Amino acid sequence: MLSRLVLRAAPAALRALPPPVAVGVLHTTRPLHTTQQSLAPVPPLPEKGGEVRHGLIPEEFFQFLYPKTGVTGPYMLGTGLLLYLLSKEIYVINHETVASACILAVIIYGIKKFGADVAAFADKLNEEKVSAAQAMKNEAMQALQTAIEEEKKEQWRVEGHTYLFDAKRNNIAMLLETNYRERLMMVYNEVKKRLDYQVALQTLKRQKEQDHMIQWVEKNVIQSITPQQQKESIAKCILDLKALSKSAHAAV
Amino acid sequence: MNLSFFDQFSSPSLFGIPLILISLTFPALLLPSPDNRWVTNRLSTLQLWLINLITKQLMTPLNKKGHKWALILTSLMIFLLLVNLLGLLPYTFTPTTQLSMNLALAFPLWLATLLTGLRNQPSTTLGHLLPEGTPTLLIPALIMIETTSLLIRPLALGVRLTANLTAGHLLIQLISTATVALYSTMPAISLLTLLILLLLTILEVAVAMIQAYVFVLLLSLYLQENI
Repeated sequence: MLSRLVLRAAPAALRALPPPVAVGVLHTTRPLHTTQQSLAPVPPLPEKGGEVRHGLIPEEFFQFLYPKTGVTGPYMLGTGLLLYLLSKEIYVINHETVASACILAVIIYGIKKFGADVAAFADKLNEEKVSAAQAMKNEAMQALQTAIEEEKKEQWRVEGHTYLFDAKRNNIAMLLETNYRERLMMVYNEVKKRLDYQVALQTLKRQKEQDHMIQWVEKNVIQSITPQQQKESIAKCILDLKALSKSAHAAV
Repeated sequence: MNLSFFDQFSSPSLFGIPLILISLTFPALLLPSPDNRWVTNRLSTLQLWLINLITKQLMTPLNKKGHKWALILTSLMIFLLLVNLLGLLPYTFTPTTQLSMNLALAFPLWLATLLTGLRNQPSTTLGHLLPEGTPTLLIPALIMIETTSLLIRPLALGVRLTANLTAGHLLIQLISTATVALYSTMPAISLLTLLILLLLTILEVAVAMIQAYVFVLLLSLYLQENI
């Protein structure tokens, strides 16, 4: 029963810890996996690390001693402590002291010389990571922006489609009209051809009838001319001719 | 406390309780733990960069099957680097100066590579015992020599690391003792010795890192032959 109490109270207590610790222990705050898992938003990292003096002692220590002992307080404390340790031989100077002095010198030299460069390198690594993701994000945004513009252009094009369709419609109407007129003309021509044919046929028939009749009349006339009539007509013609020649002589 | 030259290399104990386990696992506490965030602080970024570099360096020559060894080789490298570098601080115990520890690291790992080779490609592994193009008369002798060289590898790995670190630490101690002893009589010579000690310290830092790298590199090479 008490364990149930602890299990229920533990998440709230653990979440009440300062944010950096709370993030780390979040996994243990849901022992029975009953609530929603949420690791975001992660609290932001502080911009600068804690202030230290001489690379080792936090600034808070100096501030702590400042009211009572002023600016030189911590240094006096340090010196006194060191001298106490040395004089009472609580710390004995042996070969390790010299070795430690050397290694400390090497370490401090290394940090002073390469510290800034290493920090800049680490910052550059982070910067590259962030900028790569940012570049991807910007590219995606750019692509979407271009897509939006393209879409707008397409919409503008669609508006122009009405004019296009009108023009096309007119075109087609004209084509249809032309076609109709052509066909009308064709019909007229065909009909005229038919009628001309009929007229020509009638003309031909009339002519043939006329010719035939003339021929028949001529034939009958020629047939009806008897030899008697022929002699008489010839004699008359001779008499006429004589008379004419006389009148012609006279005229001359 | 009066230190003799053996105190640096004795396994630490407090009131009879051996502290060797603490001295082995403490360096891991100094490394920043991977955070849940994407952009981390400088130390985590540098640690990640270093681990990536080491793993890429070790795994590039290996084929896909060898990548199973990535975790153990990288963590071994980080461990040896840390332990060696921390041992340079004054009054610290360096576990890798103990032959027992280094052999305990080298022997099983070397044996693992050998057994992997013998199990997966026995003929190739045995074939490594005879270099190409040897004259026929020399074959028996050469096989003996190659077998010896194969069997001596774990010993070589362990003793190399032990000897380098122990020698370095011993030299530091001896030269610093000389500096202290000469200081009262001939301070100028003492200063010269101090200078030598400074150079030696820089060398020891380099040796610490190089020995860790060589240990892991050789193991990866033995793995390359056999996998």
